Amino acid sequence: MTTHLDMDKIAKGLGAERRGKVSATGGYFGALQLLADVEARFQVPAGGGRPTDPRWTERRLVPLASETLDRLEELTARIRKHGNVSVEPMQLAGLLLERTTQQLSDEEAERVVGPRPTTQRSASQVRQRRRGAPK
Amino acid sequence: MPKKRAEAAKSAAGLVGGRKRVLVVLFVPSVERDGATSINQDRWVDAALEMFGEVFGGATAYPKARGIWRDGERGEFLVKDEPVVIHCYTTPHDIQDPNNLAQLGDFCRTMGRETNQGEVGLVVGDEYFAMRDFVKE
Repeated sequence: MTTHLDMDKIAKGLGAERRGKVSATGGYFGALQLLADVEARFQVPAGGGRPTDPRWTERRLVPLASETLDRLEELTARIRKHGNVSVEPMQLAGLLLERTTQQLSDEEAERVVGPRPTTQRSASQVRQRRRGAPK
Repeated sequence: MPKKRAEAAKSAAGLVGGRKRVLVVLFVPSVERDGATSINQDRWVDAALEMFGEVFGGATAYPKARGIWRDGERGEFLVKDEPVVIHCYTTPHDIQDPNNLAQLGDFCRTMGRETNQGEVGLVVGDEYFAMRDFVKE
């Protein structure tokens, strides 16, 4: 789900000039955004314990490569150091997963997971087989 | 739960008009357009946080960064600056509300005018907006 904003309406309402797109996912800007996300959303539960997002009520096992876990550990160490916020590697994984699923549009998701004809068989052949044409 | 309380709870949770997934970034400068005259940056950071708190429900100011801006109207003079970057998460509904936009725009114009800026920069979502005309509206 992407956020569709009417940028012309926003520019008019602000009395400002549109100057172009920015990349809000990488570099220092992206890192600041991630830090802001953690700070804005993580709260200490009423009964005490590790700060977390109160909306996270579901728990699942997520398979991942050791390099990915290393990278998550490295990133959380940096967030703890620079942002003074306590966050665990799999909490960060949850945050990144949530952000990506929100940013992925329906069309993009369809392109990623949608059915595709195999290289050995053309799309028309697949359609013929589904209709029960001779093999 | 009474209707009003339910609405207030929904609003606090960011459920009215969608979740708070739009990032608004404001740069609060440290110097005037000449690059030499300091401004009362703390005052403007406080004022910006108050405005974001009242209009959009909250914001975070980060420690000073280092920045540079090329002033095209003054012989491409490079203005070196130590801006404070303020992040505010809001909903698509709130950021497109004409009253909220008017308040945000007014704040930026007032800051630009009173701190003698060449430009006030604002990022909304994935777009950069520039304000150069600081005349009162």
